[in-house]
Amino acid sequence: MHHTTKHTLRPAVAALAGALALAAASAHSAEFRLPQFETVKLPSGLTLYLMERHEVPLISVRAVIKAGAVQDGAQAGLSNLTGDALLLGSRSHSKAEIDQAFDFRGARLAGGAGTESSTVQANFAKLDSATLLPLFAEIIQQPGFDAAELAKLRTRKVNGLKQAKESPRNVVNQYYRAMLFGATPYGQPAGGTVQSVTALTQQDVQQYYQRYYRPDNAAIIVVGDFDTAAMRAQLASLFGGWQASGPALPAPDYGKVQADRARVWLVNKPDAIETTFIIGGVGIARNDPDYVPLQVLNTIVGGRFTSWLNDELRVNSGLTYGARSEFATLSQTGTFAMSSFTALPKTAAALELANQTYQRLWTKGIDAATLESAKAYVKGQFPPRYETGEQLAGLLGDMYASNVGREQIDNFMRDVDSLTPQRAKQLVDAHFPRLKLQTLLIGKADAIRATAASYGEVTELQISADGFQP
Amino acid sequence: MKWKVLAASVLLGLSSAAHAVTASEVQTFTLANGMKFIVLESHTIPNANMYTFWKVGSRNEAPGITGLSHFFEHMMFNGSKNFGPKAFDRTMEAKGGSNNAYTSNDLTVYQDWFPASSLETIFTLESDRIAHLSIDPKMVASERGVVLSERSTGLENSNMRMLHEEINGVAFRAHPYSWSVIGNESDIKAWTQEDLQRYFNTYYAPNNAVAVIVGDVKADAVKKLATRYFGTIPARALPPAVRTVEPEQKGERRVFVAKESATSANLVFAYKIPQANHADYYALEVLQTLLGDGKTSRLYRALVEQQLATQVSASSMEGFDPGLMYISAVAAANVTPAQLEQAMLAALNDLVQNGVTAEELQKVKNQKLLNYYRALETINGKAQQLGNYEVLFGDYKKLFEVPAAYERLTPADIQTVAARYLKKSQRTVGVLAARED
Repeated sequence: MHHTTKHTLRPAVAALAGALALAAASAHSAEFRLPQFETVKLPSGLTLYLMERHEVPLISVRAVIKAGAVQDGAQAGLSNLTGDALLLGSRSHSKAEIDQAFDFRGARLAGGAGTESSTVQANFAKLDSATLLPLFAEIIQQPGFDAAELAKLRTRKVNGLKQAKESPRNVVNQYYRAMLFGATPYGQPAGGTVQSVTALTQQDVQQYYQRYYRPDNAAIIVVGDFDTAAMRAQLASLFGGWQASGPALPAPDYGKVQADRARVWLVNKPDAIETTFIIGGVGIARNDPDYVPLQVLNTIVGGRFTSWLNDELRVNSGLTYGARSEFATLSQTGTFAMSSFTALPKTAAALELANQTYQRLWTKGIDAATLESAKAYVKGQFPPRYETGEQLAGLLGDMYASNVGREQIDNFMRDVDSLTPQRAKQLVDAHFPRLKLQTLLIGKADAIRATAASYGEVTELQISADGFQP
Repeated sequence: MKWKVLAASVLLGLSSAAHAVTASEVQTFTLANGMKFIVLESHTIPNANMYTFWKVGSRNEAPGITGLSHFFEHMMFNGSKNFGPKAFDRTMEAKGGSNNAYTSNDLTVYQDWFPASSLETIFTLESDRIAHLSIDPKMVASERGVVLSERSTGLENSNMRMLHEEINGVAFRAHPYSWSVIGNESDIKAWTQEDLQRYFNTYYAPNNAVAVIVGDVKADAVKKLATRYFGTIPARALPPAVRTVEPEQKGERRVFVAKESATSANLVFAYKIPQANHADYYALEVLQTLLGDGKTSRLYRALVEQQLATQVSASSMEGFDPGLMYISAVAAANVTPAQLEQAMLAALNDLVQNGVTAEELQKVKNQKLLNYYRALETINGKAQQLGNYEVLFGDYKKLFEVPAAYERLTPADIQTVAARYLKKSQRTVGVLAARED
């Protein structure tokens, strides 16, 4: 809170979080491998991942369920409420007892549900595993969904949804997703809206849980200081009774990006002192074969401090504190987004410069030296992302949730090293959206309405209105 | 009793982690010019870092140049004798490295993260800017815009940030902790080339810095390279001490901030506390954790579980001079600031009057211990912690005394500091809401 930093750019390699891991390697080795782990499939269909690491006497465990906002249907926020409601107590232990058990051991317990998956995660000392792992298993398999606690949680979430709109940065991505995917499942706000969450009941949560939290739709991931054989036996015993009922879940189409014409959504925040913006279009799926090389190319456009966007909008012109870009991936498709913010009177200048800079991908292309630098950068920044058990557990969870095979990880170095300027040009043409860009603005509409109109057909929204659709 | 078992499991479980890093593995050396280096070899990943701590922050400023420490931090990336504008970042990134920096009330810290094989490049870049920074007027102009944007985006997106700025201005009327690290808008627009040059000459002496290097390096090789690259930079006089001592606060102070888009009230109590390097530090840390950390914390139970607030937190300034402990809450819809204030006060008074149980204290000790080891899990966590203890507490070795410092605390110690510091007369109350009632 009292620190002020050079930049808050998160390099695009952060998005690689799901992609790669390293083996402890010598300083000059370019060899990265996912550390050894064991995968077990129980008869119920539950997948177990076990990765032993003995650097610190801690254990990271997470349950990943392939269910998220895309399954909410007309009840936006149901998946998210259900994910958090798992922490409200089990059939045998109250919320207070569970909170007590974890807090008193210095352990961490958290839940959360996103667009396509839900996660419950814990981190505790090795010797507390005998006590906390059974509790963790209870939380997943026998949630109580206590009515009084659920009502409190729902009220807190509704308050949180209102508060989120106080900060454009908190909600800009939800508006962008709603704009690009419209009324399809991918367009759903994961947290729901004030109206939709207010209407959710205990029965809704129970039904959602029954339908989607089943072993053939879930994985348990454990990384840390344990013995694999003993842990496997403990997990098989703790989760062995969990059975799926009914036919396997369908995997429907969750929606496509709508970018048939240039559009602008202008979200009015009357007391705004700056304009927050995103410009972009369709991107790629998480398991796209070009995922790794595109991370390298995005590094050049907006994924590091010297990227084109940050260099032009920040370093050369002082229009903003930071400008970046990313491929935000989903399991079936994804979005590409350039994002920044600027003082109200500079809105027109910043939007023009961002668009102009982006077009360099085609007007000038990527030179060999810049490409080599980006390759070195992506490789050099990679190892610290998988230094801890918690990070590796997150990686295995993403791989499970997004159907990413280990080959994407094991081929990482090869895919980075083999990227040539010619291949880069092909990838740019194939994957970066060049025309009919979608523009989202949050700011003081009266001050920026005219500017907005020069980027496409404008739809105006009020930030104070509920939800994220017009 | 249950807590005894818990304590044992945590301590036993972590005894091997305690051996993961020990004070004896840390090596230090000081160059002839007074620049100190702390080196810790850690070979789990093929990377390393360099954290350079400068003993300068907003407490070294005065009206007219508020925010200059932070602006200067930005200018350190804008060109030196052998690496012109942009060359620092471009050279580092092409060698696989990245960087950032932060400024606080007390310190300016530069962080480089890189493949260990790029260590010499990093030393080349760092030593060139320390020895020969060039302050290009053109870069100053564009950087002003960057920092104005940084300032406004903080105010646009964080109600708490806006409220903290106002609270500090009221809680301190003489000491430089009164202004925000980013500074006043008018000063950002007005400082001069001479201000910047003088700041560099005064504070960026090698003898005013501590560098920490952790990672896949050899300590003797680091020493050789450090001597070669940093050893020739001349020592200078140390900066003047900060003279102003904040006069004693004689009664409660209050401040209100109106922000139209606020959907519920934000409330902060800021209590005067001593500097980091004070005997009460660990007891205050415990106090803070038991108030605001986790779902069993006092304030979570009293405010969030009771539907009066949606979130609570407790945090402190950790500086060279006496500062503030902030106890904060965001109100639930339709809860007035007065209702929230009353409930927060009741929770604090209960702590002062009735103290803590041994079980509750043990819980906090367990949380502190696990978090201590979590912070030392990565090479970056190690560098940050070693540097913090060296500059703020006077010796990096004190990092290794942390578990024992917590272990010693008794329930009586916690009640004593609660009574000593959570006093009405030492409190500044801040409220942010859409409009004043």
